[in-house]
Amino acid sequence: MIALVDCNSFYACCEQVFRPDLLGKPVVVLSNNDGCVIAANKEAKAITEIPMFEPVFKIKDQLIAHKVNFFSSNYTLYGEMSQRVMNILGTFSPNVEIYSIDEAFVDLSGMNNFSLHKYGHLMKDAIFKDTGLPVGVGIAPTKVLAKLANRISKKRLENNHVFIIDTEEKRIEALTWCKIGDVWGIGRKHAERLKNIGVFNALQFTETPLQWVRKEMTVVGERTWRELRGEPCKEFVTQPPPKKGIGTAKSFGIKLHDLERIEEACAYYISEVSEILRAQKSCATYLTVFIVTNYHSNVDKQYSNKRTVTLDIPTNDTFKLISAARKALIEIYKFGYRYKKVGVELSGIIPQDYVQGNLFSQPSKLNNEKLIQTFDAINRKFGKATISSGLVGTRVSEWELIKKERSPRYTTQWKQLLTINSKL
Amino acid sequence: MEIFTSGKLTKVKKRHEPGVSKQTGFTSPATHYLEPTIDLNQELVVNRDATFFVRIDGNAFNKYNILDKDVLIIDRSQPRNFGALALIIREGEFKIQHIPIGFSEEEITIWGIITYIIHYAR
Repeated sequence: MIALVDCNSFYACCEQVFRPDLLGKPVVVLSNNDGCVIAANKEAKAITEIPMFEPVFKIKDQLIAHKVNFFSSNYTLYGEMSQRVMNILGTFSPNVEIYSIDEAFVDLSGMNNFSLHKYGHLMKDAIFKDTGLPVGVGIAPTKVLAKLANRISKKRLENNHVFIIDTEEKRIEALTWCKIGDVWGIGRKHAERLKNIGVFNALQFTETPLQWVRKEMTVVGERTWRELRGEPCKEFVTQPPPKKGIGTAKSFGIKLHDLERIEEACAYYISEVSEILRAQKSCATYLTVFIVTNYHSNVDKQYSNKRTVTLDIPTNDTFKLISAARKALIEIYKFGYRYKKVGVELSGIIPQDYVQGNLFSQPSKLNNEKLIQTFDAINRKFGKATISSGLVGTRVSEWELIKKERSPRYTTQWKQLLTINSKL
Repeated sequence: MEIFTSGKLTKVKKRHEPGVSKQTGFTSPATHYLEPTIDLNQELVVNRDATFFVRIDGNAFNKYNILDKDVLIIDRSQPRNFGALALIIREGEFKIQHIPIGFSEEEITIWGIITYIIHYAR
């Protein structure tokens, strides 16, 4: 059996753990740059007049009028809390597959002598006690069914956030309840086509001939079909495949027009991605840089461009990558536009031990190796971007994302600990 | 992935390297007696995944020997036994109190159990 454990309104709940004054009140979390609402707790979702997932500037007055508390996203906090949850799950099973920041599959095979229903409650209670985060648990023979069980655990209050599909009756009941568009892995297009042939719920889908599914929905659809019938097809993936491409692109806090500041942002992003590259012990062969203006604006002149360069030798050296990115950026930068975003992408990623040289240059026994190691060690110890290449500059705050309403990083910064006012 | 080095069993840090005199080649007489240096994280934090640090601002908790600017180590996984000093939530605010005999979770919302109080002495 497999359990899917997922945190309820994860981002909002992370904020509430440290703000008991907000318990039971509506809380929303805004995207990077405070652009739009990306997460809301059930109290906020209950206020149906507010269109969630709209740009914030359109709904700000409504949020304030309804006394909705809003936060800028604090991914440092969410990531740390997520790790706690995953670690706790690790004490319940040797096989935990982290599916996203707030959900994981837990392998419960070989535990048939336990009451899995009780075990689900144990997991849920342990996570709530240790971290303060509420979770839902769905248990079933396959991943797709576990996902469905998890939905049911939340939708039906009498289940108390744990639901298990362990009998044929329960499976049939769950499948009948589940609309075809809500099945994990069936997209909107396929759902429409299935409705056209009279398939409205998951049970009807499992009764559709396999040949039709295979022909119309490929092997992916077939797997979902089999999983819904209780036949496991999706493997447990505990080791994520190495990334094929790593990139980052974030909007600036303000529109930028001068090359210098864009260069700084570009260098900053390169530092971020090359750190990921080094952490997974690989090197990149290609580097892409792109810039765009604000296409939402109808007063600004529009321009966007991108350039991909092949590196002489695949590398993960921040300094080499920054200088390559800078060259590419200078080529595509045009004076006289207000830019909204610069992005970088590394691709052609290979393990660092397989890097080959060419006729003219030796495979880099990184000549900066010591420097870069020290660099990473300092940043690990003292926090992100404590030291960086000179090209990054010191004006990060001028173009960085707006994080106006960000909560303190309670669990990672000694100076930002949760503080309890005990003034007499 | 790093995430699997769970908070429960962490690898013991390396011991001091036994020194070998470069002059003479003799190993240190302490070679077989070396132990890892004390690590407060291991001593004071039993369950990392359930432990949070909280700072106090003010003197209202002096009667619990908790002074202004102290940092509390709070372990949420500790049992809620009678007499334990707890961080609780009352009317949406954090408070501190000893857990009374025979309490029920409905009366008091316990956020976590205070295990250590760190006081800066200078």
